[in-house]
Amino acid sequence: MVTNADPVYLDYAATTPLDPRVAERMRAVQSSAYFNPASNHFAGRLSATVVDEAAVQLAALLNVDPTSLLWTSGATESNNLAILGGAKQREHRGKHLVTMRTEHKAVVDVFRALEKQGFEIAWLAPDADGRLPLERFEAALRDDTQLASILHINNETGVVQDIEGLGAICRSHDVLFHVDGAQSAGKVPVDLAHLPVDLMSLTAHKFYGPKGVGALFVADGTPIAPQMFGGGQQRRLRPGTLPVDLIAGLGEAASVASSCIDKDLLHLAALRDQLWKGIRDVEGLQRNGQDRGGYPGILNVGVQDVEGESLLLALEPLCVATGSACNSRSQEPSSVLRALGRSDLEAQSAIRFSLGRQTTSAEIELAVSAYRNAVKKLRDLAPERVR
Amino acid sequence: MTTDPFNTTVREYFANPSHCGEVAGGVAGYFEDHGMRIRLAAEVRDGTIARLRFQAWGCPHVIAAAEAVCRRFEGQPVSALEQFKTGQIMEDLAVPVEKTGRILVLEDTVRSLGRAIENLTTP
Repeated sequence: MVTNADPVYLDYAATTPLDPRVAERMRAVQSSAYFNPASNHFAGRLSATVVDEAAVQLAALLNVDPTSLLWTSGATESNNLAILGGAKQREHRGKHLVTMRTEHKAVVDVFRALEKQGFEIAWLAPDADGRLPLERFEAALRDDTQLASILHINNETGVVQDIEGLGAICRSHDVLFHVDGAQSAGKVPVDLAHLPVDLMSLTAHKFYGPKGVGALFVADGTPIAPQMFGGGQQRRLRPGTLPVDLIAGLGEAASVASSCIDKDLLHLAALRDQLWKGIRDVEGLQRNGQDRGGYPGILNVGVQDVEGESLLLALEPLCVATGSACNSRSQEPSSVLRALGRSDLEAQSAIRFSLGRQTTSAEIELAVSAYRNAVKKLRDLAPERVR
Repeated sequence: MTTDPFNTTVREYFANPSHCGEVAGGVAGYFEDHGMRIRLAAEVRDGTIARLRFQAWGCPHVIAAAEAVCRRFEGQPVSALEQFKTGQIMEDLAVPVEKTGRILVLEDTVRSLGRAIENLTTP
């Protein structure tokens, strides 16, 4: 039973709750395998086995060899290691890099840092629906382009990029291809044995695992330079003592995801459709992102002549986002929505509903009612514009 | 430490803006700037603001500030409008300094209302 007093969590793109199976696995590891997996004694080897098991679980989710995975603290670190490490390792090949204007800040800021170091970045614009046309991507590649990084599923709009097509173009031009999979790994099927991807970042807390742990897939033979030094763990590419319990949690979350990804997607699509049907006739409503083919866990809508901050407050107790969680404290309109051609005012009124495994139809019903009431209330409060 | 950007007064005034609306046959002031727009409408009787209502398009602080102005000036003599200053409202509602421009839109609306009343009563 949902009441107005209960918070209704519709911000799963920001983070997800820990799956009970993951929590149980982590508790077991914390009490029985807390040892340093780099230690040579038998207890250390026990923890190393736990780490190896987690690698097998994550490798099964992504259809890769377990040895192609590096553990990190999350997607931000994985993005840094992939982009900085890839760009620097192949600097001799050129200093031209390609990415999109709709990337997450964890990628944008890495490219900004490389720009300051003399790299040239092509910031590609999407089409109005948020997708990057393959011909635009290929046209941006030059002889000195050495790395491209593309966000698989956009965290604000749910737009899904054609990773297979983009990767094939990279392969044909000898361009290293990094994919930010923070919103896709564990949420949609990702088959890295067949996708032409060299590097993919992911994080556990987006798919019901713990915060503070992630991974970077590094395809066999992909050259990257380490960005941290000391200890020599993980083939010296990402040194540091491994957090065994967090890694075990990531592995368990991957295992759970492997078993229920299809069911999750059906569940999310039904709820997203219920939400959209409930609000789509609100006057001045605008859907941000793909009408079809987008990730079903995210619905981003803007509405004309309603102020965003007031809308967010009027929507309480819904927990939704006005932009990406990482910059939601900013008053700046979302750069992602601006890249889709939205005005500052339109971008500012945007609300991202992101749904998850635990979201119920009753919660969506409440969200529909709350959204409609909030828009009406704010419009009733507003004076006619005097020209 | 993360704190709620809205204090309890802002939350109360935003959730229950009892002075939101129009005054039929009243006198009104309007101002629009910084993307905000505010209208104040008053019924004046014997030099006193008998009723004061607002309409506002803006952030929660602007809406709460407009409600606060209505609560403060209703029942007051018209001349009190001249004493309006944003400082007290900024403090009472804990308005962030970067929103000063928005609250000044309210001050301009109050001035606009004052002029409209003056024009109405000056022969």
